[in-house]
Amino acid sequence: MVAHAEIRVVHRGGSKINFREPVITNDSRFLLCASGESVKVYSSSSEECVHDLQGHTDLVSGIARNPSNHLQVYSCSADGTVRLWDFTDGILIKTFIIGYPIYSIYVSEKHGGVVFVVVPMANDKSSELFQLVAVHLPRSGDQEVEARELSAVLCDVSPSPGAASFGREGEYVAAAKGLQLEVFFFKKQKPYRFFLKPGIKKGSKNAFTCVSCHPKEDCIATGHADGKIRLWRNFNQKKEYTYSTLHWHHGAVNTLQFTPEGTNLLSGGIESVLVQWRYTQENQKDFLPRLGAAITHIAVSPDGSLFCTSHSDNKITIIQSCVKVSAIIQGLVKSEGVRTDLMIDPRSKALVLNGKPGHLQFYSLHRDKQLYNLDIVQQEYINEEGLDQFEVVKAAFDAHGDWLATVEERRQKGSELEINLKLWAYDEQTQSFVLNTTVTAPHEDQITAMCFSPSPETTMLVTISFDGHFKAWLLADHSDTKEGASWSCDFVGGYHLLKPGCCCFSADGSLLAVGFQEVVTVWSPSSWELLTTLSQPPGAIRDLCFGRLSCSKYLLGTSTKNQLCCWNILTCSLEWSTPMDVSLLQADPLSENIAAFCSQSGCSDLFVFKPGEPRPLYSQRALCTGKVQHAIFAPRDQMLESCEEHAQWLNRSQLYFLTQHMDLMTFSTKTEEDRLLASSKRLMVDNSVAVTPFYLLLGKHRLQQQQQQQEALTNPMAERIQLPQGSIAIKELLYTPAHVLPSASFLCSMFVRSLLISSSSAREEKEPVEEEMESEEEDSEGEAELRDARQDLEGSAAWGPGEELGTPALTKAQERELRRVKHFDHSWLSSLLEC
Amino acid sequence: MKSLQLTHQRACAVGNNTWLLAIHPDIGSIMATDGGSSSLGLPCVFSPKSRQYLALCAQDGRLRIWNTDIKTLNQEYVPSAHLSATCTCISWGPCRKAKEGPQRKKRKSEAGQVENQVDLLALGTAAGSVIIYSTVKGALHCTLDGGHSGRVNCVQWHPEDCLLYSGSDDTHIVEWDLQTGKARCKWKADRASVTSLCVSPDGKLLLSAGHTIKMWDLETKEVYRKFTGHSTAVTTLRFATMRPPDSNGLYFLSGAAHDRLLSVWQVREDGKDKNSVVSFNLTDEPQHIDIFTSNSKEEAVRLAVVCKDGQLHLFEHFLNGPCKKPLSPSCTVQMAGVEDSPVPVPLLAAALTTDTHSLLLAYGNHLQPVMERVEVNTAERHVCLTRDVHATLSLTMETTVSKVKTPVVNAKSKVLVPGLPGHQATVKGALGSEKRKGTDAKEMSIEERLGKIEMSAEKGVKGTPSLQTDNFAVLLVQGLESKDANILNKVFQTRKDILIKKTVARLPLPAVLPLVEEITKRMQGHPYTAVLMVRWLKAVFMLHTSYLASLPDLVLQLGVLYHMIESRVKMFHKLTKLHGKLYLLMTQVATSDSGNKVKDVDHTAKLVYEEESSDDDDASGDEGLPDEDSDVGGSADTGAVGGMEYRLIVKLFIK
Repeated sequence: MVAHAEIRVVHRGGSKINFREPVITNDSRFLLCASGESVKVYSSSSEECVHDLQGHTDLVSGIARNPSNHLQVYSCSADGTVRLWDFTDGILIKTFIIGYPIYSIYVSEKHGGVVFVVVPMANDKSSELFQLVAVHLPRSGDQEVEARELSAVLCDVSPSPGAASFGREGEYVAAAKGLQLEVFFFKKQKPYRFFLKPGIKKGSKNAFTCVSCHPKEDCIATGHADGKIRLWRNFNQKKEYTYSTLHWHHGAVNTLQFTPEGTNLLSGGIESVLVQWRYTQENQKDFLPRLGAAITHIAVSPDGSLFCTSHSDNKITIIQSCVKVSAIIQGLVKSEGVRTDLMIDPRSKALVLNGKPGHLQFYSLHRDKQLYNLDIVQQEYINEEGLDQFEVVKAAFDAHGDWLATVEERRQKGSELEINLKLWAYDEQTQSFVLNTTVTAPHEDQITAMCFSPSPETTMLVTISFDGHFKAWLLADHSDTKEGASWSCDFVGGYHLLKPGCCCFSADGSLLAVGFQEVVTVWSPSSWELLTTLSQPPGAIRDLCFGRLSCSKYLLGTSTKNQLCCWNILTCSLEWSTPMDVSLLQADPLSENIAAFCSQSGCSDLFVFKPGEPRPLYSQRALCTGKVQHAIFAPRDQMLESCEEHAQWLNRSQLYFLTQHMDLMTFSTKTEEDRLLASSKRLMVDNSVAVTPFYLLLGKHRLQQQQQQQEALTNPMAERIQLPQGSIAIKELLYTPAHVLPSASFLCSMFVRSLLISSSSAREEKEPVEEEMESEEEDSEGEAELRDARQDLEGSAAWGPGEELGTPALTKAQERELRRVKHFDHSWLSSLLEC
Repeated sequence: MKSLQLTHQRACAVGNNTWLLAIHPDIGSIMATDGGSSSLGLPCVFSPKSRQYLALCAQDGRLRIWNTDIKTLNQEYVPSAHLSATCTCISWGPCRKAKEGPQRKKRKSEAGQVENQVDLLALGTAAGSVIIYSTVKGALHCTLDGGHSGRVNCVQWHPEDCLLYSGSDDTHIVEWDLQTGKARCKWKADRASVTSLCVSPDGKLLLSAGHTIKMWDLETKEVYRKFTGHSTAVTTLRFATMRPPDSNGLYFLSGAAHDRLLSVWQVREDGKDKNSVVSFNLTDEPQHIDIFTSNSKEEAVRLAVVCKDGQLHLFEHFLNGPCKKPLSPSCTVQMAGVEDSPVPVPLLAAALTTDTHSLLLAYGNHLQPVMERVEVNTAERHVCLTRDVHATLSLTMETTVSKVKTPVVNAKSKVLVPGLPGHQATVKGALGSEKRKGTDAKEMSIEERLGKIEMSAEKGVKGTPSLQTDNFAVLLVQGLESKDANILNKVFQTRKDILIKKTVARLPLPAVLPLVEEITKRMQGHPYTAVLMVRWLKAVFMLHTSYLASLPDLVLQLGVLYHMIESRVKMFHKLTKLHGKLYLLMTQVATSDSGNKVKDVDHTAKLVYEEESSDDDDASGDEGLPDEDSDVGGSADTGAVGGMEYRLIVKLFIK
């Protein structure tokens, strides 16, 4: 239910690009990956998203190249459809309705017109059993076709797309699930099953994780949970099958892939090392280490020159011939939780949150693109399960972006907590953050909150910890010594040994409010006097927030027992309170508005209000499922001028929030969308790089015809200035050497068709006349100039054919021939046309 | 050629009533005919609207596209004929639409529209062809060939339609239809080469510069207006307002080679617009111009001009009729390196933002520029920024592929560990504001006091006979006075308890406080020296308690010491645990080894020694502190209990 149609909740940067295996196109120029409900087409050289193929209404669960057309791909989705796309232009060609949610898709060159999909056994989503079925795609011209011709191939397969693979030109299919490997031969229509022992006793986990079949030989490679890779041979016999074992990975093998020629086997796992095994010489291995995060998928381009790996941190790495990382496509890194809150870097206006382990990521909200990761911990991250390593847990920027404070912590089981507080200064000379002060163990327990004072006079940081204290850190300027300014502790405060949970500075930095369980204490940072205590039991204080601008006399607090309180700081009394389960309060830095996220019955609601006014400016129920824990107001570059009352709160800044599933969402108003739409026009630029005479003859002519028709429909004005085109086909026919011409039957129809166009030729005459006039109007002084202009005119009239001169494919002899033909008078042709 | 000169002289005759055309017409004609090619400089353009990219064609003929957000190289493109047909001009195409296809019914979870992405880039080459490069695909999009026989001097996109205009040395302007990739129209624009072009924001007018500046009506390709004034090749043409031409409010500006003035021209309805209305003063010829056009009379035009000498001039002017005096910049920005003798860093390009204070700058080398968004105080007339270009470049180089930035961590950064001053608040603060204010006043008195102490100590030293210089107490006083590390090291090196006691006892009272300070300082250092210092501290507390207790600002003095001891005691417990575990491990190893070898007791001896030392530290706290502060004593006691436990454990292990 959307309260106001003008304001929509939209995704921003939330798309996951590592969900399924990416697909590299035949020419290695594009990379396709499933991303939420759409398929994204990335350029493999520039890392930019070229197209966003939209059409599916549920999660896209697989992509496969169309084996019969290298410019098309199939995509399948949980919405029960398989769609065929033209990815170069981003056009949906066909939709096949299967009717069941699809979990993965396979194609095989041998099985033309058939796709293999994994669907649930029973017709409901909750069922745990899946089957591999072959779908015969009906050949019909319709956009939407129902494909009901399903035939089951294998029962009880794993829904994971890596757990099945087609082998040796599609003669058999191998699927693994649990401890069982099943091979189905299409010719014999007979499945073979092989079982492994659980092997838990010896500490090995034999369960299959992934399967890949050799493209040329009868060999199946399987990956296992304990890091072993088994190569199966002779599996067309029940008893005499053999397997050899390779072992390098210490964690589970996440993915396996044979190269197209079958010379190499690629494997990857949590170690974030791409391992390349030589087929038949398995003791020779190549490694590409330090890829940053656990490898989840590997894809190889059809010519084998390009590999690409998906990683668990929402990243796709493009690797050239297994030696060099050439590009990285990085989405918003989604770790398990955003332990640092969302922040806006005042300098770059980027969204900052924790990204890769030990890093802070900077994400551009304008471009919806990750900018970079800032390495805070600066320690080698060991890619292994069950290790406790330093993590950035808190970060804060000061008002101008000159200082960045980070807290990193490491907690090992049964041992002491290690905390470091680092203060980074932005150095303009080197355009980088420089470490100024490291404080080891600033508190004895976890730091729960941290904020800089917004006051312009002092540079102060307040940290709050579960050890019952809050500390104020002050930048002390030792200008007398050579060391420069560094930070030191100025004050340690506490209140009756209660644990503080949150803190907030007032807009001018003159007051600090710290919530100690049920009690809010208000301090004066200049003298560190405890000014007053405010309390509204029951329930501990969850979040605190001062009002801004004209509402700066108000302090808002939410408690765990469904209370939202507003205190007046001047009178130190409660102004109002309402029973609301507010999980998060966020103040807009540029206006008085405050956003409150409430959680009710599994959903989150949003209220935007001014502390001084009794009614909310905007409210939206059922924003998203789950609790909203993080939100931020990002100031806009340009103020919006929206007149609708309930959308005005979005004029100065935009509200972003993270849902429980780590999707970054925002609110978009109608005026904003209209503005974006108005400013953008699709630019149609013909891209003809390789120009051959053959192409010139056929491709261009057809294109022109189309466009002529289009333009005639849409833009009658444009036609007036157009050069003569009707006779181009004839000219081209005459100029082109006979040996490169297509068959006469084709040319005949074209020739006749070109003769039919006479409507435009009537206008042809107008154009040169006009031009003559204008060139006369120009500096018409001497004879010489007039002659100049006439020559010029001729040049422009003979334009169409003249262009061919520059084409590289023509030889010198051809050029000479062309020139000779050009000298001929073609007027007879145009007169012929006019008749 | 004769006719050429004739027209030129006519043009000059028109222009001669303005003072800027003081150059001899002959020189002018030479400049205009062939001076254009050499003075254009290397093309360097920011992408429109969001300024995400900077396209730069460097001396090596390669096109490089830099990302201004991350400040790294985004793409590099080598045109196939980059050495023979070098790129002469660059122009960014209009932003492409982010989303294609038919508009679907908007659903709640649909992805939001992102800012439009720039894509295409048109490059003019010296050979006469125009290249269109796609930044999204990272590859050549298409080439437009055969339009020009001479070098292309300028390319300009039509703001709305798929049209591109190029002006060339062959004196023609070509209108390219990009949908077909063919020239739609070609006309002779001037008798000299066309050096600059500009399409009006509404897409109806085109400015071209050759001998004269001409304004063309794009629909009819007729000359709408002619303007004369520049004597050298016009390198820049820009529209300064967005108003229609019939309102007398359409202005444009032009800059020329070797010309230190930017001229503004008004397109007037009555046609009396032969001369420039306003001119802007520069320090050198303009190299890169960015303009914030105004939509109304009330809005000022903002202009950022980077000159050939690497300076940036900012102008702000209300375009409203003629202005006689040339305007000087409202702000000039220069950049300097951090070397000992500051070297100017040339600015390459500058872009204005909607925010009046912030600018996007590109500076340094054409091959590797540095981009920065900077806040400039425009109220000042002259701003000089210092930048360490080398350090910046070395930092950004790493980011290019990995997209990980590593902030600088150098030796200058301070490390605060528990126990060091600054890690905890000074004790005065904890006692409340009244005392804090009080101690502020007292702090001064301490200095005075110290001064007095030193004075009196000096007297004391002078009073003692010179025979006693080998005395430790005298040495210590001397060392404390002169802060001579050698003397102090010599004194503090001793381990004999009796000697320490005697020395401290003989110490004159005024030297006690400096001694305590020195001990505090040394105890913060290496643990080894701390072990030595503990004996001294113990002796001081034993012998001079009465004196110390009489000091009113004692809390402040001993606060640091207290924090340090407290934090070390806190660590002590953990260390003993670790020690115990290690010991257990070692003994296990030893017992397993003993089956084969003779017993080795060396391990135990080593570890026990360390335990003794830390125990000593603890003991000193135990003995010395109760006199000062009951709180301190309490915590030290707990530490001692820990020590006792530990001793018991160790004994258990030994037996």
